[in-house]
Parts: sequence; C-alpha cells; structure tokens
Amino acid sequence: MRLKKAGYQGIYLPELGIAMDGTHPDAEYTFVTHAHADHMHRNRSAHTYASGPTLSLMKLRGFRGSSEELAFEEPFITDRFSVTLYPAGHILGSAMIYIESDYGSLLYTGDYRTPPSPATEGFRAPPQVDYLITEATFGLPIYRWKTNEELAEEVRKFAQQTLDEDYTPVFLAYNLGKAQEIMHLLSVLNHPIMIYGAGHKLCSVYDKAGIDLGPYEAYDRDTCEGNILVCPSSALSGGFASNVRKKQIAYCSGWATLESRRTQLTVDKLIPISDHLDFYELIDFCERLSPKKVYITHTPNPDVVKHFLDDRDINSTFLNLEMESDD
Amino acid sequence: MTDSTTFYELCSTIQTICETRGSNAKISTCAHYLSRLVDDELYLVSRFIGEGAFDNVSGKRASVGSRTSGLAAAEFCGVDYDSVFKPCRTATGSSSETIEKLMFATPDARKKREPKQWTLSDIEAVFDHLYDVSSRADKQAILLDTWQQMTPVEIKYFIRMLGQGSLRIGFETRSLVSAIAKAFNHDSETVRYAHMITGSTGKTAVLAKHNRLHEATFKLFHPLSFMLASPIESRALDSLDGYICEEKFDGMRCQLHAEGDQIKLFSRDLNDITKTFPEITSHFRNKQLQPTVLDGEICVFKENTIQPFQLLQKRMGIKKPGKKILDKYPVIFIAYDLLFNGRQPIFDESLKERRSQLQQLSESHDIPMSLQFPVDDRDHLDRLFEKALSHGNEGLMLKREDSTYEYGQRRKSWLKVKKPGGTFDTVMMYAHAGSGKRGGTYSDFTLGISVKDDERYEEEFIPIGKAYGGYTDDELKRMNKKIKELRVEKYGPTLGLLPELIIEIEFDDVQVNRRTKAGYTLRLPRFKAIRWDLGPGDVDTLKDVEQYYNQKIEAERTDQSQNPSFIRPSAATD
Repeated sequence: MRLKKAGYQGIYLPELGIAMDGTHPDAEYTFVTHAHADHMHRNRSAHTYASGPTLSLMKLRGFRGSSEELAFEEPFITDRFSVTLYPAGHILGSAMIYIESDYGSLLYTGDYRTPPSPATEGFRAPPQVDYLITEATFGLPIYRWKTNEELAEEVRKFAQQTLDEDYTPVFLAYNLGKAQEIMHLLSVLNHPIMIYGAGHKLCSVYDKAGIDLGPYEAYDRDTCEGNILVCPSSALSGGFASNVRKKQIAYCSGWATLESRRTQLTVDKLIPISDHLDFYELIDFCERLSPKKVYITHTPNPDVVKHFLDDRDINSTFLNLEMESDD
Repeated sequence: MTDSTTFYELCSTIQTICETRGSNAKISTCAHYLSRLVDDELYLVSRFIGEGAFDNVSGKRASVGSRTSGLAAAEFCGVDYDSVFKPCRTATGSSSETIEKLMFATPDARKKREPKQWTLSDIEAVFDHLYDVSSRADKQAILLDTWQQMTPVEIKYFIRMLGQGSLRIGFETRSLVSAIAKAFNHDSETVRYAHMITGSTGKTAVLAKHNRLHEATFKLFHPLSFMLASPIESRALDSLDGYICEEKFDGMRCQLHAEGDQIKLFSRDLNDITKTFPEITSHFRNKQLQPTVLDGEICVFKENTIQPFQLLQKRMGIKKPGKKILDKYPVIFIAYDLLFNGRQPIFDESLKERRSQLQQLSESHDIPMSLQFPVDDRDHLDRLFEKALSHGNEGLMLKREDSTYEYGQRRKSWLKVKKPGGTFDTVMMYAHAGSGKRGGTYSDFTLGISVKDDERYEEEFIPIGKAYGGYTDDELKRMNKKIKELRVEKYGPTLGLLPELIIEIEFDDVQVNRRTKAGYTLRLPRFKAIRWDLGPGDVDTLKDVEQYYNQKIEAERTDQSQNPSFIRPSAATD
C-alpha cells in the first residue's frame, strides 16, 4: 500500500481513498485524529470523520465543514475497508486510526500517550497490526517520563506551596489538552482557577465529557491575583498577569525536561509533563503490535528510533511528512 | 562525625540551587547548607562547588575529557556512542546532562546502578584516583565502577566537578563567596579578600566558620588570584580623572615570587611556570631580593624591542628550553605592580603607593618596570595609544591610582583599551549544535577561507576558525533557517553546509598552528557581520591570512631607545 502526503503534515492512502490529518483532492474519506492545529484541517469541502469531542473542539477552533461523529472502538465499514478509532490518551477526543482492508491492517497513531492523560478517554489499541505509522516526538532514549502519579503530585505541590506563600501560581501550558489536564489535576485542591481566553472556550467540551476541571472561569486581569492561573507561554510576554507582582511560574511540557529550557524561559519551575509517550513506551508499543513495518514520523531523530527497532528485528523507515512532495 | 552530609545531599543541594530563581535565593539555599557542616565537609563542599574536584592552586586535574566520560557512559547504559549518544547530546546540548538522563532512563543503567551512601572523602579519594592513573582505559574503569554506585544527579555533578569549571547552575564563585559570608555572618568583602589570598574556596569557608578570616595571610610562593581589567567599551568613562595609563604589553601575564635564591613564576591560571623561563629565574636570583611579589608581563625582548606574542608562543609549554630556543627567543619580565614589599603584603595600599614602592625597588635592584603616564585628555590618550601600538603593544591599560589590588574584574578600577582586530570575509562550512543556554540550536560555526587557486590544496575552502558569539538572537534565528537550506551532511551534532553563507569575522590576532589544515589559527574570532550581500567568490584566501601574519611579525616596531614603554634602570647607565 502506498503512502502519500496530505496537506501540511497528513497522510493519504491512494488505494483506499483515505486522508488522515490533512486533506487530499482525491480523498473520498477524511479522518482527523485530534483537534491540535497541526493535525486538524480547515477545509470546508472535506466531509470529516472524527470522534465527538474532536469535532466539537474543531468547530470551536473554526472548522466549518460537514462532519460525522465516530464512536471509539466501533468499526465504520465501507465496501473497501473498515475504520476503527482507538482512544489515544493525548488530549480529549484524540484517536488512533485503525484501518483493515485487503492490503492488511494499518494503525496511524496521530499523537498519543500511554499511560494516558487522565483528562482523556484513556488509551486502548488493537493487539496486532501489519503496518504502524507512529509519531516519535520524543524519539531519544534520554526521554523517560516520571509516572502520572508523580507528575500529578508535582503539579499540586507547586500550586499549594505557592498559594501557601501568598503568591499566585501560573502554569504555562498549551491551550488545548495540557491546560485542561493541569486544571483536572488541580481540581482536588478546589481553589479558583482562571484560564486564558483561547483555552477557556474549549473547556466546555471537557465539562460535557464529564472531566472535572475544578472551579474555573475565564482570565480577568483585574481579579486574577490569588487564583491559580493557566495560560500558554506566549501569553506572558503579551502582558498576562503582569499586574501581579508576587507570582511563581511553572512551565509544563515534555520539553521541560531539558535544562536549557530553564535559562531560555526564566520560570520558577519546570514540570516535564508531556502529552506524548516517552521513548521506552514507544519502542515497547512497536514491539507489542509486532508490525511488518513501522513508519516513523514527527521526529528529528528517526535514525535513533530505527536503530532501536533494528535491534529488535522490527523493520522500519522514516516517513518524512514535512518534506516529501506529493508525487 | 555526627551530623554528617553525603555526596548525594551535596548534589541535591546543588540541584536545588540550580532550580532556584534569583541570586539572593540561591545564596540563601547554599548558605543554609554550609552553615551546618563540620570542618572537613565544609572544606570539601566549598571546594567542589567553587572550584571542582581539586583545589585550583593544587595544579591537579582529573584529565577526563567529554569523550572519555561519554564513551564510558554509553557503554554503561548499553547504547551506541555514535548513533545514539551523540544525537542525545545534540538534543540536550550537554554531555553531562545526557549522561544523567541516560543513567535514569536506560534499562541497562537502571539494572546496574545500586546507589550507596558516598561520603565526601570517598569522593575525594575517587578524584585522586582519577588523577593518579593516566590511560583512558584506567580512567574509564574508575568511572564505571563509581557510577555503578551513584544516582543520576550525583553522576551529573561528579562529571561537572571533574571538568574543574562551572557547575552550570547560575552560581559562580562570587555567589559562593557571598554564601560563605552569609552562612557565618561575615561581610562579603572580608571573605572575598581571604579568598584572594588563599586562592581556595574550601580553605576560605573553614576560616570563615571559625572567625579566623584575618589569619588568611599571604604566603610567599603561593599564587594570589590576579586582578583583571574590564574592556573599556563596556564601561564607558565619563572622565579620565584619577586614572593613570600604561601600555598593554604584547606578552603573557605573570606573577613573580622571590626571596633570595628562591624564585617562582605563576601564570594567570595560577600554574607554576618557573621552569619555562629559566633566564628570568636566574636574573632575579642574582638580585637576592627580600620577600617580594611582583605582578607583570613576560615578553620576548630582542634588539631593544618588544617582539610579537607569536614568538613568545614558541616558549610557552616548553618545560626545559634548550640553548637554541633561549637564544632565539630571549624573554624579559616587566613589572607593573608590587604586591609584597619585603615585609608585608601591600594589596590594600593604593596603586599610587604600590607604584612608588615598586619604583624604589626597581631602582635599587635593577628591575624592569612599566612606565606610567598621566592622561591629560582624550587627544592625549589617542597619542599614547598610537605610541603603544608603534611599540608593538596591544593598546593601553587605564588604572585608577586610588584602587587597591583585588582579584577578578573590579568594575572601573582597571580598564583595557585595545586596538580593533583584523577582519576576514569567511564562509560558513559547518554548524555545530550549541550547548548550555543555546542548547538545541546551531550556534557554533566553523568558518573557512578560500584555497581555490592554491596549489597546496585540493579543496575549495578550508577551516580557519570557529566562532560562537557576536550575533543577536534574531540573526541566530535567521542563520539557523538558512543553515537548514544549506545542509548537505550530518555528523552527529554537526552539519556540513554548502559554502554560501558569508560571515565577516573579527579577531585579535593570527597565530601559527601546525596542527590545523590552514597552518594558522585566529585569536578570539567572533562575528562582525553576516554578509547576506556577499557570495562564496568574495571569501578571503589563505594568502590573505599569511599576509596578515607576516605583516604583523615584520611590522616595524619602534625600539625602546626613545619614548620607551618601560624602563630598565641598568640600561640607562649603559
């Protein structure tokens, strides 16, 4: 089966007429794994299949096309293939796309995290696949995450200690996914939270999915002091909470594991909480599915991943979605 | 020992200091830890944080390079050095951080490591052991054996201490001195003074603890940390009042200790270089001085003229120079400061007072001494500057006459005025991933010159130097974008580039270096401008470099018979 590029960073399967995380003029079916900007398209003319929360989030982020909701783990069957979404544990609604056809079975992971983020539908996967297209954002053996419990503890401890010292805690976290995960982890503190506008409007989808985000409201500059604040890193330079002098800032990202981030960002705390799986989970996952071939995407270091897969006799290759042209 | 600390506790404290924002908070964290240590521990902790594995003045070094520790770590963690370790190092920008992470993450390391409680003296013994063995294999065996019993954070700082440099936690010597002062309720300046004299953060801390800082007395033949000058451009001067000026000699800094037959010479990094310059030693031995310490410069001096630094280079590092070398490159010691005057240290006296005592000593014992010139105004300064250059010197030093002698850069006490260096248009050949603050971007660059029409070479361009700095963050971003387009090869953290990006570099000097392809290296190369307007055809050639060097060597240097930059009392009566 051939793999082609669809849109900016997506994949098109010409034999099946399927586009994933990008649109293609010849595609009959267009699927989206999750609502992050580098995965969701904005093409109105592409009828789009995705999970319910993903579609809701896409609409809030400006998608205007027609769509159809797919439930997790319920096959969508056509005469040429069957597609099943598996929860990917990355952000709410995130899915891995599993395709069975005469060409064999294929799993496209999109972005994924296992063990899953607690603010998602969890993580499940088929037991075996023929072809695996996997992201490898953290594709180096220096990346091994702390457990979800340890990270939750770190987040709560930072908020509580900061509040106890009469300072305002600020969490720098991406508007969609990371922000809500942090809020969910903090909900047990039952302390008022204010979240940056662009993230705030997405929280309703989490509410609807029954994920507790604590007592939150939209960021208000005049009254934000003393609340737990959540905003993306870019907001700080735009004057976010610049009127609050006594604040402590935590940067929450997988990249926070790198010491160089400390001097680059000038924050008080780095919390290496990622919404991608770590290197060892990645290699284990590839091994577990015993694929005939693994296609590696979204990494500057495909050679290192391949080196480890070679050691395990797993055939793999780099799928360069950013550079490969259409034909 | 009752309330004993461990190496693990030390490393955790260092990590906490690293993660703490603001220097006052860092100082408090460190002071709190120091304040409860017993003497032996306080000594070692202050040494390990402030200097590294060894006291700087001991001259001992572990000699464990990043390749030695990187290869050992890769083996320990069960990963391939070239295909796995190097890309990881590129991502973090730090070898020691990479090792820390692999020690935490890899299954091999997790299985092998069984941390034990290391005392600080255990660690000191390991450092000594590393110093005692010399082969890479022996050193690696010790590393592997030690790491097996350590946690990742201990391993990281253990490696950084071996480097005898910064721990990279935003906490330099000045902060440690303040922490020692805070821990034991002393004034920072008092601690700083004791540190200058002992040259040891460890000893200083113990003296501070016992309120014995006043006992930090200067000992002859133990080097004193050097006072350094700040570049004048960063310290714009409103007024020249109170400054005196002398020429900045084209030589190497040296501290000379003398008493009767015994003479010792120390370089700026406090290494003993006595044996390298036997003619200075015997010259001063003949004078039979009372205990004396001089700060000054060693220059090659021939035909009554100060010779280029390039010639002095041929003497540096040679422990026992033969007669031929001594004849070809004769050196002289020119004093410009007096720190111990036969009876006592006088660094607390003003420069004016020290100079007047130096002058007496120079006259009575025939010691070459720099001349000082009062500066009337800017025009006068310019004329003095031109005169210094005509002597072949680097420029001028401006010193405040009322300043005491204190180590390190002391704001505006000493300023240096240097001539602008030369420039070449070079081509970017390789980009290297940066480390530390610049981790993750390409920030170090190998720059090349053209040898297209040079029969000695087959290549079009060959490297002439490496530069990292002198560009803005925006320029760095734009270069990184361009580098992606020009990239043709990748060797670990290094990218090979198409020769299209032209960089105008500035440098202080050109030096011969036979180990490089070009045969020359540049001193202090830095970016002057990114020449987006130029192409590979505009790159300067190796011939241009050779020409620059020869001009420098052959440049007319006025001799010292008129308008001299220093005096030799004996020469005056020749």
